[in-house]
Amino acid sequence: MRTRDSNKEEIVKQKAIALLVEKGIEGFSMNRLAKESNISVATLYIYYSDKEDLIKKIGIEIGKNFFDEMSKDFSPSMSFKEGLYKQWENRIRFAQSKPLEVNCWELLTHSSYGEYILEKSLLDFKITMGSFFRNSVEKKELIPISKEIFWSVAYGPLYSLLRFERDGKNFGGGPFKLNKKTIDETFELVLKALTP
Amino acid sequence: METDFNNILIFETNIKTEKDKMIISKVLNSNPEIEQWNIDLEDIDSVLRIESRTLNASQIIKMITEQDFKCSELTE
Repeated sequence: MRTRDSNKEEIVKQKAIALLVEKGIEGFSMNRLAKESNISVATLYIYYSDKEDLIKKIGIEIGKNFFDEMSKDFSPSMSFKEGLYKQWENRIRFAQSKPLEVNCWELLTHSSYGEYILEKSLLDFKITMGSFFRNSVEKKELIPISKEIFWSVAYGPLYSLLRFERDGKNFGGGPFKLNKKTIDETFELVLKALTP
Repeated sequence: METDFNNILIFETNIKTEKDKMIISKVLNSNPEIEQWNIDLEDIDSVLRIESRTLNASQIIKMITEQDFKCSELTE
């Protein structure tokens, strides 16, 4: 009698994420994953019907985790400043605590599986953020702009800072560590650009 | 619905191409005792995965080898 071994499944998931980041989607193989997870190929195929199934399931799970993290202490009725700052905090925490997941998420959402994964995992989050956006415009705390411009200005600078943080280097090659002062300074500039 | 793990059979085959897959599709699709099946053509072992409540491994092996493909059960 086979039973679900959630501990083993979790190991497989973590190994799959690491392997996807290391090898890319093309280079990723179920065989290699089975070996690295110390399970048989048969066991792996009991969990996932094939490579495509595995990639989709892993992607959706990361998306859901991401959504849970982003929703922490956040409500679409918050003031624009408060809500956006919360989003920054949540995104920074996720990026710092789960760097592999973030890399894997980037990889998967920009692949041919991207649309499917996004649709399955982030639908609710899109609705929440959409209503935050509309509320803010209605309250005249945010200028009416397209969603793409909004996203680029609201989060682009944050993700640039996180990239410096990930590389650990500033432009001069010296060390870079993201601190609250840098975050707040950048956030104020973003707010200046987005508020009427 | 969660798949019952006990109804899953896993095989290593030499089914490599879409054309090969077409050949076995005919046999597998026409069998009402097979609830679901798929083959991972991207994998080195061309893993065939069968979900069936009633069939056993040797019955599947017979079906596949009759189409002139190799097929052996992978065990855990």
